[in-house]
Amino acid sequence: MASGRKLRFAQMHDLELCAQAVTGERAAFGELVRRHAPAVRGLLRRMGARAAEADDLAQDAFLAAFERIAEFRGDGTFAGWVKRIAARLYLRRLQRERRLAGMIEAPPLEAGRAEVEGRIDLDEGLKALSAAERLCVSLCFGAGLSHGDTAEALNLPLGTVKSHVKRGLDKLRARLASDGRPVAEGSPGDG
Amino acid sequence: MAELDFERRLERLFGEAPALADDEAFAERVARRLDRGWTARRWLIGAAGVAGGLIGASQLLLSGLFHRMEAAGSSARTLSTGLTHTAPAEWISTLPSGGVVVWIAVAVAIVMIGFVLTRVIEEI
Repeated sequence: MASGRKLRFAQMHDLELCAQAVTGERAAFGELVRRHAPAVRGLLRRMGARAAEADDLAQDAFLAAFERIAEFRGDGTFAGWVKRIAARLYLRRLQRERRLAGMIEAPPLEAGRAEVEGRIDLDEGLKALSAAERLCVSLCFGAGLSHGDTAEALNLPLGTVKSHVKRGLDKLRARLASDGRPVAEGSPGDG
Repeated sequence: MAELDFERRLERLFGEAPALADDEAFAERVARRLDRGWTARRWLIGAAGVAGGLIGASQLLLSGLFHRMEAAGSSARTLSTGLTHTAPAEWISTLPSGGVVVWIAVAVAIVMIGFVLTRVIEEI
């Protein structure tokens, strides 16, 4: 019986699952968690959160999403919506623990430290960015925030955010270009 | 153009979820926390209902409702007697009178309070 329901939910589109979750159907929301948890956890790790911290925040983000599921109108993807919630929770935690200012002021890492046996991917590339660059790039390209929203979230001037993004992109471009591997098209998990 | 291509490529890379070994365990942890929150909420609603009922009942008793009901009953009977003398139509005298009216009013009030409580709990 339960596995039949699980199977039925597994075949549903995200928006249908959200509609079910609005009525308090927790199993439908569970399917959404199964689908999108890796993306949310991945984003938090890429923003600089430690693994345990990222998991903790991702759980809080999904619980907050369930509480506010009626507010999700389907304008963007469900994954994008939860990622934004998670990113804001992470920033709030950094601010609460007074770690944000230190991260933003930290100097960039030395170029070349992220390279592992000549293989460079996004996660490795991000390690070569300063904390501020990594946060700005992750918020803009991972969580889908605009430069203005990112500036507001980080409490930084818009120009500073744009500079961090540009410097971060330049470093990533150099690394990903030297990687030489084809980039997989049509990423899954954002449905 | 190359800039835009690179930004799209970056968005795709960010969209690629890294494979994590404990994805299923993570989903189960979230489900457990959801269930725990749901159970706690149900207990809270039940406890609030019982507390509200007790407070309501104690207020009714302390306010001397039964004395007032007796007084209201006798007033209603007086009014009803008066109405039979003065009412031009017979239907007025067929209305329920005395204690019955008070009980109906109390029942309606309880239903209304229940409705309001339900709405408030839903909003919370």
